[in-house]
Amino acid sequence: MVRWAYSFGGRYRSALVAFLPILLLLLLVLFFPPDGRQRAEWAQFIGRFHPLAVHLPIALMLLVPVLEVAGRWERFSHLRLASRFVLGLATAAAAFAAFLGWCLARSGSYSGALISQHMWGGVSLAGICWLCWVLRGGTGGLRADKVYAATLTVGVLVVSWTGYRGGQVSQGEDHLTEYMPSILRRVLGISPGGPLLEAAAGGFYEVRVQPIFAERCVSCHGSKKQKSRLRLDSYGWLMRGGKHGAVIKSGNAQGSDLFRRITLAPDHDDFMPKETRQPLTPDQLKVIELWISAGASGTIPLDAIKGLPAGGPVRATTAEVSFPQIDEASAVKARQEIEPAVRKLQDRFPNILTYESRSSTELVLNASLLGLKFGDADVQAFAPVAEHIVVADFSRTAITDRGASAMATMIHLRVLRLAETKITDQMLRALPNLAQLRTLNLYGTGVTAAAFPLLEKFTKLEHCYAGGSAIQPGASIPQSLTGKLVL
Amino acid sequence: MANPELQMAILHAQTRRHFLRSLGSGVGSLFLGSSLANYAAAADASAGERPNLSFARDAAMPLSQLPPQFPAKVKRVIYLHMAGAPSQLELFDYKPELRRLDGQDCPASFLAGKRFAFISGVPKLLGSQYPFKQAGQSGQWISDRLPHIAGHVDDICFIKSMRTDQFNHAPAQLLVHTGNPRLGYPAFGSWVLYGLGTENQNLPGFIVLLSGGKSPDGGKQLWSSGFLPSVYQGVQCRSHGEPVLYLNNPPRVDRGLRRTMLDAIDEIDRQTHAEFGNPETVTRIAQYELAFRMQMDATDAMDIHKEPESVRAKYGCTSAGSEFANNCLVARRLAERGVRFIQLYHWGWDSHGATAKEALNIGFNDRCREVDQPTAALLADLKERGLLEDTLLVWGGEFGRTPMRENRNGQEMKYVGRDHNPDAFTIWLAGGGVKHGITYGQTDEMGYEIVKDPVDIRDLHASMLYMLGFDYHKLTYSFQGLEQKLTSVKPARVIGEILA
Repeated sequence: MVRWAYSFGGRYRSALVAFLPILLLLLLVLFFPPDGRQRAEWAQFIGRFHPLAVHLPIALMLLVPVLEVAGRWERFSHLRLASRFVLGLATAAAAFAAFLGWCLARSGSYSGALISQHMWGGVSLAGICWLCWVLRGGTGGLRADKVYAATLTVGVLVVSWTGYRGGQVSQGEDHLTEYMPSILRRVLGISPGGPLLEAAAGGFYEVRVQPIFAERCVSCHGSKKQKSRLRLDSYGWLMRGGKHGAVIKSGNAQGSDLFRRITLAPDHDDFMPKETRQPLTPDQLKVIELWISAGASGTIPLDAIKGLPAGGPVRATTAEVSFPQIDEASAVKARQEIEPAVRKLQDRFPNILTYESRSSTELVLNASLLGLKFGDADVQAFAPVAEHIVVADFSRTAITDRGASAMATMIHLRVLRLAETKITDQMLRALPNLAQLRTLNLYGTGVTAAAFPLLEKFTKLEHCYAGGSAIQPGASIPQSLTGKLVL
Repeated sequence: MANPELQMAILHAQTRRHFLRSLGSGVGSLFLGSSLANYAAAADASAGERPNLSFARDAAMPLSQLPPQFPAKVKRVIYLHMAGAPSQLELFDYKPELRRLDGQDCPASFLAGKRFAFISGVPKLLGSQYPFKQAGQSGQWISDRLPHIAGHVDDICFIKSMRTDQFNHAPAQLLVHTGNPRLGYPAFGSWVLYGLGTENQNLPGFIVLLSGGKSPDGGKQLWSSGFLPSVYQGVQCRSHGEPVLYLNNPPRVDRGLRRTMLDAIDEIDRQTHAEFGNPETVTRIAQYELAFRMQMDATDAMDIHKEPESVRAKYGCTSAGSEFANNCLVARRLAERGVRFIQLYHWGWDSHGATAKEALNIGFNDRCREVDQPTAALLADLKERGLLEDTLLVWGGEFGRTPMRENRNGQEMKYVGRDHNPDAFTIWLAGGGVKHGITYGQTDEMGYEIVKDPVDIRDLHASMLYMLGFDYHKLTYSFQGLEQKLTSVKPARVIGEILA
């Protein structure tokens, strides 16, 4: 060391001065490490320039070996003269970028192993740049050259590793391997993407813990959406963690990021579940806490954890309603067969035939809108789609008992309305056993009490409206129709 | 384009927004394209499991039917709004403890941090002015002021834990009917019309009928279409005489001449729409056409004299001051004819006790008599005709009333009344989609605050949309950069406990 110092003579002092910022950086990192808390706006504002600034030292550091190697050729020997200058620049840029990085990490609520590694990589890089700069300046003969070459090599390795770590911080741990073709994965010995660990079937995790995640978390952290690149739809994904690293610390519930977030006050920025801001129930929290404390194992048996809240798998106490999801693409496919016939009928009878829902192939027919313009012959027109009609309203139309034959093909009817039409008992006699029929509206028709036995063939019938019909008041209602017949 | 004035007008109609939008397909897309594609992808990803539903329709048929998102429990709504906020303590929320403490000074804890419209100083507690009794097989408590409705409690689902954050009539009514206390938002009926269209193309899909002598405080904004195309706004009809003024042809104009005239106007409107693309032009065309078709059907639908005398008697249409009864009967006729959303307002429930009309023992009593029989008759009629199973009937005001007697300016008033209470009130539902003969939610022993299962207006809205076949997140309309929805931006909850 001493000999080198002498060898670069007058520059000794300036080199030490240049080391001061790096020393300062070291002190900052040592005494004020990032701790995951959010701080002053200024520091965060400046810090946000770190991803921008960081590319400068990377490029400069990688440029130096190019200059050195190319300079070995006579033609490019002048390039070597530039390398010391470039190194000086790289040192300054690295120290500056590392400082910005510290600002960002310290104030922008970062913490964890990944951040520390990236941070130390950055600080070391600044130091190594400085060392290269100092070494390059000397004329210390062959040995100093070798030390320089070695240091420069280390520098290139450190810059690559730190850059990779930085990429992981900003784009996710598997940002390089995520879309790696499986052949390459095999050659490089990288584990295939997907869950790494599996929970034991019927174990504590599967029975008690996973249902909680399934109910409260997976709509944002599941197969369809991965907020913060975290998935909670299987044990493997859970243990893999997300953008901010692992979310479970085995044996330490309080130290686990997942548990920390679900136990915060609901108005806290980090609180989860974010979507609803409805905290998990105390019972759900207890189950998760006990499980993490017991080692967060996927294979631990169901009865291994004591002190659980009473009851079986914990469910929310309120009746949560889930919305049926629609898949319009598969609806289009399912409708393919009947779509042309439906279109044709919709053109002929505008606005009375619609699908029951966005995704269904079931149809709803409301002929009552056409009133007396709709007759028995028109019912025939619906034959091509008859089996798909689940609700049919012929109230106040001109249909008669002769329409029964066409209606008989609508075998999946759930609701049939014939109110205030000219139909009689004959209609009910002609209708087949509509096995799905729940509602039959005979209000204001010519149906008589003689039709009561005919109604018994509709086994699922819940309501039969027969007010204003030809049924005499005081007609004895059979046992099977009590509570169903509305007179 | 020979006419320079016309050309100028067209250029003026092209705004900055048109220009920016056209960048997507113009030269700008060359450099914007890639980054916009990313935004679009990101937006898709964030929408995740909730892809938007399309409500696109043929421009000429803005009211044509669209299927609901999932199979619906009900296909129409009849909403009976009691404007002015009827007292839940005199009608549905039975509080014997309050009766016992009647006349005592209100405890200070009731007053701390509360704002009142009129109460000042220390008011007295006021027990219910009317006796309650249990009714039906479900044994629900109901006041003796509603003897007819009492006969139907087994068909009713009471929500006794409604709350709102508005304590003045107009904003509170806006909140109930548009999901927002400010002006400019579409009414519930407009949303439903936009989402589902309407069955009967010869009648408006969203009809409003008023009674009680005055319009509700919220005014016509309560049935406005807000930022939705105005074709979805409610149409206020008169309950006697011509239902819609100037609907019939003037003398010496026959239907054929009317048609010729409309065809000419339509042609001009269509050209305008082709040039400017303003949805309001489509509304104009649609409204002309609707009015033409309505000439045939509207008068018939609204004419209660087409009903037999016996039916009119059941509703009480024959007695004096039967506007509300008439409207209820019209509501049933409209429901039969495939009208999607039928909105009734009955004014006069603001029982402060400042005048006889506002007194709990005078004016309030009259209101009860005006609505009790018709409401019950409507329920019974819908049920008998099998219409109730796909209709949702809603009855309620915009907020509740205090368990304290109002003491305007700190003085005992001549008449008995109660002040506004936004923290607890009762709304009831009946029909398809809801459980029958149940009560959801509970207030404290004074009926002052909710102690169990609070329901915000947006929860009620989300639940109603659920019965109509929609996830309230998905019934959206793009406006001012936001996917607007009825429940606004706060999370709502479908009340699963009341769903049948």
